[in-house]
Amino acid sequence: MKKSQFAALVLLAGLISLAQPVWSQMNGKQIMEAVYARPSGSDLQGDLAMTLTNKQGDERVRQLRQFITDNGSIEKTLMFFLSPADVRNTSFMSWSYADGKDDDQWIYLPALKRTKRISSDSKGDYFMGSDFTYDDLGDRHPDEDNHTLLREEKLGNYDCFVVESTTKQPGYMYSKTITWVNKDNFIGLKREFYDEAKMPLKTLYIHKFEKINGFWTILETEMVNTQKNHRTKMVFSNVKINQGIPDNKFTERSMTLGQ
Amino acid sequence: MKENRMKTMAWLIISVCFLITIFFGYQIVQKSRMETDLDKYMPQDHPAFVYSDQAEAWFNIKDGILIAVENEQGIYNSGTLQKIKDITLQLQAMPEFEAADVVSLFTADNIVGTEDGLDVRSFYREVPSSAEVLKKLQSDVETNEMVHGRLVSEKGNVALVVAALNDTAFSMEFYQKILAFAKSFEGPEKVYVAGVPVVEGTMAFLGPKDMKTMVPIVVLVIVLVLYTVMRSVRNTFSTLMVVLLSTIWTFGLLALLNIPIYAVSIMIPVMLIAIGVADGIHLYSHLDLFLMENKGATKVQAITNMLKNMWKPVMMTSVTTAIGFISLLTSEVLPIKYFGLFTAFGVMAAMVFSLFLIPSFIFVLGTKKQKTLKTKDQSHTGFGADFAVKVLKNKVLVISITVILGVFSIVGIGKVWINSSFLENFEKSSDIVQTDAFINQYFGGTSTINVILESENEGVMTKHETLQLLSEMQLNVEKVEKVGGSFSIADYIKRMNKVMHADDEDYNKIPDDDELIAQYLLLYEMSGDPENLWKVTDYDSKKANLTFQLKSDNSKELKKAIVAIEIFKPRLEELGISLNYAGSGYKALVFTGLILEGQIKSLVMSVIIIILLITLMFRKFTIGLIGSVPVVLTALLSFGLMGLLNIPLSTTTALISSIAVGIGIDYAIHFIERYKIYSQETGDKLLTTKLTMSHSGRAITFNAVVVILGFLVLLFSVFPPNRSLGALVSFNMLTSFVATVTIMYLLIYKSNIFFKKKS
Repeated sequence: MKKSQFAALVLLAGLISLAQPVWSQMNGKQIMEAVYARPSGSDLQGDLAMTLTNKQGDERVRQLRQFITDNGSIEKTLMFFLSPADVRNTSFMSWSYADGKDDDQWIYLPALKRTKRISSDSKGDYFMGSDFTYDDLGDRHPDEDNHTLLREEKLGNYDCFVVESTTKQPGYMYSKTITWVNKDNFIGLKREFYDEAKMPLKTLYIHKFEKINGFWTILETEMVNTQKNHRTKMVFSNVKINQGIPDNKFTERSMTLGQ
Repeated sequence: MKENRMKTMAWLIISVCFLITIFFGYQIVQKSRMETDLDKYMPQDHPAFVYSDQAEAWFNIKDGILIAVENEQGIYNSGTLQKIKDITLQLQAMPEFEAADVVSLFTADNIVGTEDGLDVRSFYREVPSSAEVLKKLQSDVETNEMVHGRLVSEKGNVALVVAALNDTAFSMEFYQKILAFAKSFEGPEKVYVAGVPVVEGTMAFLGPKDMKTMVPIVVLVIVLVLYTVMRSVRNTFSTLMVVLLSTIWTFGLLALLNIPIYAVSIMIPVMLIAIGVADGIHLYSHLDLFLMENKGATKVQAITNMLKNMWKPVMMTSVTTAIGFISLLTSEVLPIKYFGLFTAFGVMAAMVFSLFLIPSFIFVLGTKKQKTLKTKDQSHTGFGADFAVKVLKNKVLVISITVILGVFSIVGIGKVWINSSFLENFEKSSDIVQTDAFINQYFGGTSTINVILESENEGVMTKHETLQLLSEMQLNVEKVEKVGGSFSIADYIKRMNKVMHADDEDYNKIPDDDELIAQYLLLYEMSGDPENLWKVTDYDSKKANLTFQLKSDNSKELKKAIVAIEIFKPRLEELGISLNYAGSGYKALVFTGLILEGQIKSLVMSVIIIILLITLMFRKFTIGLIGSVPVVLTALLSFGLMGLLNIPLSTTTALISSIAVGIGIDYAIHFIERYKIYSQETGDKLLTTKLTMSHSGRAITFNAVVVILGFLVLLFSVFPPNRSLGALVSFNMLTSFVATVTIMYLLIYKSNIFFKKKS
């Protein structure tokens, strides 16, 4: 199942401590549960600039405006392309279900003036040609992995737990991940991904995070695929949380209206 | 006293030579290495290669290993589909491949349109078993042009797994591993392995391997023939030593300098054998004649006379030959520069052995038993003398034949071509050729040409005018006989346009709307695997990669396709787009062109140098010109005949014409030098010709017979390029030999050189 953007913002970063005083006794599993349980808002809107860089150093920048709502059972995302000019107002909507049902996805192509449903199995793993899979952006439940606290160390100015998470699911695309978790707010600040053959694959960096409307929110993040020498940088701006986006924003009709 | 000192000297020379040989032999054992990576052969800074390498990096262009799974009953059953899945997954897990580079029906995106949307799925993940699902899969494949005819044959009986490989990853061990791997999936299906890396790798391996078995046989035959003409174990032994030691020194020096052995380096011993035996034969021939004429002469006298008379021609022939090979330094191809330089070194080493080691051997081992020497004086009445007279009598015939052959050769030279095909180096009946033909029968082709389009401006490649032109170009070039398929960004857009219009065939074309195209691409990126797009275009749509598949890697077929592609160049330029080529097939084409060009350049240069050197040696320009006749004729006939018979040259056979220089010059110098000596001794022109023909002519004949018979052995090689090598060396020897004793001799006779004062 695909997890959304929203969860990305909230979960990669949104790791607020439940019981700060007990850190010294926490084990790997408890740390990752604390990361998972960090509260997030129920809706979010903002702009996203996504910069893709390939191994030749060529760059592509895409700007989108996105709206996300999550009522606990369905997470709905609506995105409008702002640039490049020839795809302006192309919109993409996805509904992803907590019960594990396949996502529903729609795309509106203004040049065709038609909204089309897209169905896709797990093949479309990478989000819009970036180095992020939908899974990377989503909220992977801590029960799906075995966690070990490897060590505690400083990452930059932050005191971190270093937790290794090994998948319980054979054939999962990552054999393991290693996460540097900020002790102060349970935001994962860095994560290394290892492929099925246990070789280093990608590294996720969080460059900037802020408290917005009471929620820790990631504003700048970068994924570096070291095997392909390809990187994706995401910068969020004008982020607003819990503004009360109406549910009728997430309809096929509103996709055609543009932003 | 004098004899004792000479004896010590002889032993000293022999010991030193063998000690150095042991040293070089040790270097070979310790440090020798083969270079099989064909990219290392190419001049890295040549613009065509620089460009191609760059483009290969842009679009991840690699040669692929092809594994074909054939089921005569059709592949749409759970057993065969399971095998396709297993082969794909297991190849992806091999360290030699990157997972994304392994493509099959199992990994392919199936983009299909429905009434209300777009469906991007795999054709299958779990192997289907119900007849209904299998039927659905079959129809999915048959309605998807991006898969049908590309990954599954149109008849539905063969499926391909394509695994792109880095150039350096291929080795014979790896090939064996893949073959065994493929074989493990057989029954009832048949599994085949083919592809450019397999063909290139096998050739780089098979050529030298075959040479390793053939060279000892060649040497053995040469030993036998040498013995037959020399009638002496000692003479045969020491002549052979010259060849063997010079080869060991040459390869030892290569190893010492840490220079790898390239495929063309196998030509070094070939040249050294052909050239090295000459000195020995001429020396012994002279020695025999001296002993015949001077019964009771001592060993010291015989050796002294031999050296006195022969050091000059032996040195002259060796130096000129070496300089001829050094002219190969003008080639742009590194292995050929090394070939020229080190063959030159080997020739000089052979000269040192001939002048020092052979006399030492004679001294230590003694001369031939006197009784085996015929007492009859052949000089005036023997075969050589008769032949000399006959040539004079039939001078018109000799000249006419030479002129006719020369004219035909010049016509033929215009038609000489070098075939960059790797495949055509194998027997038609070999597995490699058969597999390739099998795959070509069902798919677009095992060879590819990549056409790289570039523009200064962003977005040009996704403009509808560009895409429509690309599409038209693909259709037109595909009409060329051996072109079986093509692939470009246009195919993606056509497919998307069709599926977004509910699979309506009328929309299987490039739409006229640039924004729609941009949105299709965005949609593809969001739903399919964007990596696929970067194999056909780049981030800002300034570049595109258009792949043509060919059912042959023959240079002529490649060129036909290129001619059809070039037609579109002006129209592309109108859109601000430049056109270039990339990929291994194109590189091979350029590379072989460079070899041929370099070879002809170096031959022309050698001939000029030779004319100058002979002029210098005999202090007469006419002699320089006459002396170059065998060289020129050999080179002309060698290329001319190939051109006339439409037999393509290959990378190694192109080099054989160098032998024309090495051999032709030797024959000419020995002959002229001897002619000069006799002219001074006798002052009689006819007698001089008779004597020269009996002396030098005899040695030249022996030399030619020995080498021709030796190299004819290669006709029994299992590797076709080595067969052509044998045939060509023999043919060149024959031409040099015949040209020397007929037309060159006639020209010397007619020019009255050395007799000026009297006539």
